[in-house]
Amino acid sequence: MSDATAPDRAARRDKARRARRAGKRLAVGLAFLGPNIVGFLCFTAIPLVFALVLAFSNWDLRLHNMFKDEPLKFVGLDNFRRLLGTPEFYRYLGNTLFMMMGIPFGIAGALGSAILLSQDLRGGSGRNWRRLILYVGVAVVLVGGGGALLVAAGAPLAGLTLLLGGLACAVLMGGVLGGSTVYRTLFYLPFFTNGVAVFLLWKRFYSPIDGPVNRALQPVLDRLTTAVQATPAPAVRAGSWLALAVMAAVMFLGVRTLRRLWRDGEMGAVGVLLAAGLMTLPAWLGLRWWPTGALALGSVVIGGAALLGVATLLLGGRGSGERFVAPRGEAFGTGLMLGVGLLLLGVLCVGAGRVFDALPAMAGHPEGLTPPLWLSSPFWAKPAMIFMGLWAAVGGNTMLLYLAGLSGVPGELYEAADIDGAGRFSRFWHVTWPQLAPVTFFVVVMGVIGGLQGGFEMAKTMTNGGPAGTTTFLSFYIYTEGFETGRLGYAAAVTWTLFGLVFLVTIFNWKFGNRYVND
Amino acid sequence: MSTTERDSARVHAACEEVAMLPPPRGVPGAAAQRKLWGSLAVHVVLAAISCVMILPFVWMVLTSFKTLDESFAAGWLPSALRWENYGALLNPDPDDLRTRGMNYLRWYWNSLFVASCVTFLQVFTSALAAFSFARLKWPGRDKVFLLYLSTMMLPGLVMMIPNYQIMITLGLVDTYWGLIIPAAFSAFGTFLLRQFMLTIPASLDEAAEIDGASKWRLFWDVILPLARPGLITLTIFTFIGNYQSFFWPLVMLKSSSRYTLPVGLLFFDSSQGQQLNLLMAGITMSIIPMLLVFVLLQKYLVKGIQLGAVKG
Repeated sequence: MSDATAPDRAARRDKARRARRAGKRLAVGLAFLGPNIVGFLCFTAIPLVFALVLAFSNWDLRLHNMFKDEPLKFVGLDNFRRLLGTPEFYRYLGNTLFMMMGIPFGIAGALGSAILLSQDLRGGSGRNWRRLILYVGVAVVLVGGGGALLVAAGAPLAGLTLLLGGLACAVLMGGVLGGSTVYRTLFYLPFFTNGVAVFLLWKRFYSPIDGPVNRALQPVLDRLTTAVQATPAPAVRAGSWLALAVMAAVMFLGVRTLRRLWRDGEMGAVGVLLAAGLMTLPAWLGLRWWPTGALALGSVVIGGAALLGVATLLLGGRGSGERFVAPRGEAFGTGLMLGVGLLLLGVLCVGAGRVFDALPAMAGHPEGLTPPLWLSSPFWAKPAMIFMGLWAAVGGNTMLLYLAGLSGVPGELYEAADIDGAGRFSRFWHVTWPQLAPVTFFVVVMGVIGGLQGGFEMAKTMTNGGPAGTTTFLSFYIYTEGFETGRLGYAAAVTWTLFGLVFLVTIFNWKFGNRYVND
Repeated sequence: MSTTERDSARVHAACEEVAMLPPPRGVPGAAAQRKLWGSLAVHVVLAAISCVMILPFVWMVLTSFKTLDESFAAGWLPSALRWENYGALLNPDPDDLRTRGMNYLRWYWNSLFVASCVTFLQVFTSALAAFSFARLKWPGRDKVFLLYLSTMMLPGLVMMIPNYQIMITLGLVDTYWGLIIPAAFSAFGTFLLRQFMLTIPASLDEAAEIDGASKWRLFWDVILPLARPGLITLTIFTFIGNYQSFFWPLVMLKSSSRYTLPVGLLFFDSSQGQQLNLLMAGITMSIIPMLLVFVLLQKYLVKGIQLGAVKG
């Protein structure tokens, strides 16, 4: 008996000691966590529960305040039902999604900047570097001296020419002496300072009558007007056929790429179909934009041909033995990105075609071509914001992430590509781009999540949601409903709907992101 | 040995001789020359893009030196370097109609004050929590951390509405505390500092324990100094984020004397926006603190972002 109890007692004592130690560890851990977790509970956890309650109630600051206290009611799903039954909601969601068209362009620009910044900026060996400084110095003297002469001669716009020339020379000199850090700093500046101040600055930059953008555009458009008036109208309209030809070439390249990916078993059916579907969307857009029968028909024929090409590829590839079979969901993300890229190119082609088609009529107008009204125009307000966003995004965090990614690409891969005789483009396509896939994926997901919630500051400072609600994004809608009107319950329902959308993207990230990260 | 074999042997020898010769003299020079022109082209493209990037800022600064008439005229250049616009904002004349209802210096001070308070508190509470998550072991720790992480996914807008109601209940609407307190705690900051603290070797903790140091000593004297790059990164993020913060101050602040710069500038734009030169002077001055932070601490910023710590 005593043999058995002694270890028992020891074990019990041991256990008690361990429990005491665990309790002490817990106390120390929580003591350090204390200040933070109090705030976390008060301003994150409790509000979270509160937000859920709000979304199902008729909480309204006009009904429940210090003067008035009407009974609070739970209205079940009424807020959500009203939201989904409001046509404005879909319009504002559409506005929000429209702004996301800037994301691919921003990412492409950031990748381009990162590649440029990671080039050899010293021209190889040390002697070359010195020669580089000499060349740039001579250029600076030439441009600066030329500008000074222009001013002396009293040439029109000489001051501005001199200013811009001097600025360019100063930047170039700084870059040659300071290397890529100087450029990186200047590139990152718009992103870093992006906020209310910069939005107000751009609002004035875009000002329709006296803003610098339109002041610079007007002479260009005047020259274009005379050029178009001098050309016979059918010749100008032929430009839209050229645009259609470019679109056909883009579609052909797209189908060929899809075909290769499918044959090699690199992409599954879902990815191929998605890319093909997105790719053909611009063709249907052509139907809406072109009243002229022949052009609309042309774009639809191109889109149909592309779709047909993909269909034959999916059906025809099955029997032949040369195809590797990919799982259906394989490379879904790549298919999506490819599809979005082709979609945007196609939209650009269709848009350019539409412009060429309408140019003779527009130039025939007594005032000639006039620059857009930008933020005051329902059509141009969102594109204007996208351009501004690109200005900030091209040198932003995305570029920094790509720079880090580029320095992580193993040099052996490039050496192997050189031995295989790869050119510049195929080096990029077969080495750089796949190696950067994790960064790209991360950036796209973050961009979409940010884009869904964003746009409030821009809308509030630049347009106040207008003109005619064309720049009212979901975040701005939440602000007006919740804080201007006071319908907190309804606004909370909108935020939860927004959360649902963000959550979908996050699930997409979990499902497909891990594959990229583990590679 | 047949003739063909002998021939081929001779050819081989000749080939080897050729291979051992130094390469023709013109080739490396030409390659270097090509490299030189290539990098010059890259320089020119980079400089051109840089110019586009700073062009709006150049216009802003130039306009801030103009008179009102000049600011609506075509040229970019002011006729002289005038500091009057800055003077009118910083030292407003009560009779000056152009700056009526404005209190630019006060807004400036409010912004810097609120952003500094938030930054100090947030970095401090985040560092404590990060230490607890990264360097201490306690039951349930990972579950609590997961809870923190999962709230980072929520859109900030979800929390804004109930927090506004909470602020109304606490009577903190239109006060500095209403801006400072909710921003003093951050799951993102905790996460960022935890990532930094995890990279510090665990042997330091053991050494400190053997020396009989308390956990507080370990935190204050060992871990915090080593986590300095992380602390600086978070400081930059928090300071700039709060200096720029717009939605929450816009909702919370009602009286002009408590406005922060973004809200004040919006007010200025809507009430006195036709004073383009004054507006640009105000915008220029509001960007200066960010420029200072950026230029002085850029090194840490780039590193922090590239470590995967991207906010939003």
